[in-house]
Amino acid sequence: MSLIVFTIVAFGFAGLSVALRTRARAAAAIGCLGLVATSLAAILIDPAQVVIIAGGALATTAYLRLFLALGSLVGLGLAVAGLAGGTRRDAPTVTLAILGSCGLVLGLVDARAAVLVATAGGLFGVILTLVPKGGRVGATAGIRETRAVVVAGALAIAATAWFGRDLSRLAAQPAVFGLAYLAFAVAVSIRFGAIPFHIWAARLADVVPETTLPILTALAPASLAVVALAWTDASVTPLLVDLGAARAIVLAIAIASIILAAVAAFVQDDIEHVLGYSIVGDAGVVILALAALDPEAWAPARIWILAFVVARGAFAAWTAGVRAGFWTGRVADLRGWARRSPILAAAFILVVVAGVGFPGLVAFDARRSIVDLALDGTLATIVLLGTLAPLAYYGRLMAIGLAPADHVLEPIEAWRPRMAPYDRRAKRRWLRTTWDANRAFSTASVALLLGLLALATSAGAFGGPAAAAGLPPGLEVPGDGTEITEPIPSDGPSLPSESVAP
Amino acid sequence: MNPALAGVALAVVVGAVVAGSTRNARTAIFCLVITMIGVPIVADPTPAPLSLAARLVAALLAGYLLWIATRGHRVRTGGSLVGWPTDAFLAAAAAVVGFGSQGLGAPAAGPPLAAAVGFALAALAVLPIVTGRDVLRIGLGLCLLLGGVLLVRTSLGGTPDGFEQLLTAGLVATLGGAVAILAIAVRADDGAGFEVSPGAPRGSSHGPDAHRVGPP
Repeated sequence: MSLIVFTIVAFGFAGLSVALRTRARAAAAIGCLGLVATSLAAILIDPAQVVIIAGGALATTAYLRLFLALGSLVGLGLAVAGLAGGTRRDAPTVTLAILGSCGLVLGLVDARAAVLVATAGGLFGVILTLVPKGGRVGATAGIRETRAVVVAGALAIAATAWFGRDLSRLAAQPAVFGLAYLAFAVAVSIRFGAIPFHIWAARLADVVPETTLPILTALAPASLAVVALAWTDASVTPLLVDLGAARAIVLAIAIASIILAAVAAFVQDDIEHVLGYSIVGDAGVVILALAALDPEAWAPARIWILAFVVARGAFAAWTAGVRAGFWTGRVADLRGWARRSPILAAAFILVVVAGVGFPGLVAFDARRSIVDLALDGTLATIVLLGTLAPLAYYGRLMAIGLAPADHVLEPIEAWRPRMAPYDRRAKRRWLRTTWDANRAFSTASVALLLGLLALATSAGAFGGPAAAAGLPPGLEVPGDGTEITEPIPSDGPSLPSESVAP
Repeated sequence: MNPALAGVALAVVVGAVVAGSTRNARTAIFCLVITMIGVPIVADPTPAPLSLAARLVAALLAGYLLWIATRGHRVRTGGSLVGWPTDAFLAAAAAVVGFGSQGLGAPAAGPPLAAAVGFALAALAVLPIVTGRDVLRIGLGLCLLLGGVLLVRTSLGGTPDGFEQLLTAGLVATLGGAVAILAIAVRADDGAGFEVSPGAPRGSSHGPDAHRVGPP
């Protein structure tokens, strides 16, 4: 089964990279090679397979394939940008492990099993908080991340367990319906670092490299959010139960994240925190989709999740490009960045267009649909305008970039590719010299490529809208080529109702 | 009520009380392992041998990794702020609530003992997670919380299938490994205890935040 192949490739290369950790360069090379392999393995996933393993089931969908392919490409781009920028070399390893867990999370038919893998996947990111010569500060951020991941996992496990059984004989008025829904929505919010659960994510931005931030706080939680959407649509939405109070809390979290995160990003002094809060703000739209409680929100939410992951990845690559090119992350010190690096300027424009969008762009329309489905009247208008608030911090960054530079220590052509004279007798030294001389150019180029990928994803390329509108992984054989690799035993354990498509 | 199951349930709760209250790191880890070994057994029917073996191996692996992180003479952790008797009463009260509210509004597929022990573990996890000021104590609390919620899941939905048991085993081992890595990192910093950093970490993993003075 193609998903199992993907998982083996992802975890296999991650394990190999860990085994080679004492040889940092070899481990990083294996990690990058693994990300290339996972990109190919993801593209080769057959989107209509079901396999039964020990009573559990894995199924592939077109959305799973697209999510993993885009996630692998973003992970590869960020890994290269991180290596060129001189940050952590274990980032590709962690990205591989998280991609492997994302594959399982999106492929598992049973939500109760999926949340277990999503929690384990979140824990892989802890490795990135370990900072050489700063173990205590890194581990402090790490244990806070672990606490957030496990508490979120516990909420999700409890919620899915409550619904994952025969509920035909209710013994009491089910206030627990609302609590279970709230628990899963809060679990997703905690994983994204949504406001008011953002403290751990803000501290994380202090210690992990900027190129890994979207992997930890966007890609990994996004897979849990997809599970939450499927679970909500199948288990909660069909119920004729008043979820008013629980839904109001989820709406409050979503709206606070959308608006306050934009404000927080605007006032930050360094670009890593701008990136971190931009992720929180966009994640607010995903939480808003959970509050919609409408099957119509299914496709727009999944489109937005794809666009969100890729656009934040491109923004992270841009921040890495800025650091590699100008050796600072302080916004006030970046005067003239756009004049001094046209590639970064072009990448930034692509990120802004992909992230904020315009009417007619698939991601923009998806976001507007989510807001319209979740809210009514004036509040919907306010929140819709709030989703455009990122223009404020993007505008601030661009204004600083277009201002005259106050001090230029780098040669003006530093952003261009530079090639040292080829030395046949010392190829390795030549390679290293060329690599070092082109760090700024490499990271900027990666940012530009990811910006293009983000714009294409936001525009609905790669069959995104059709994939997003598809059914979640299930055991149904629709008669259009769905393959069951192994027969389902007739007396085997029955799968819970939430595995059925909404 | 199955007396053997009740005995295992009692051992799980006692292990959790000691793990959460003792100041000796290795005693805490030993008791945590007892708790984690007992968690999959508090089920009716008991998991299939292969599934149970996976869960037991995961519990032992997590415990072993934590054991490595606490190498040294008389390594200490935070311990309970309120003392073990208070913790024991808290666990007992939570167990009674869990036993009485089994199913949470709908018929449950698992044993009521699982709900009782699950609630007890979750209650014991609250203080270390919320007030813990050292990595190991917070980690112990997170392990207890995970054990508790897995028991609540068993009480609601019955014994998980083999595949879910395998995934659960992976999660337990990953959590133990993550906490152990963080504990080792904390101790490697200055060789002292597991206390977390009081201040906010700044710029530790990013590139140098200054302009170069010349070309490379």
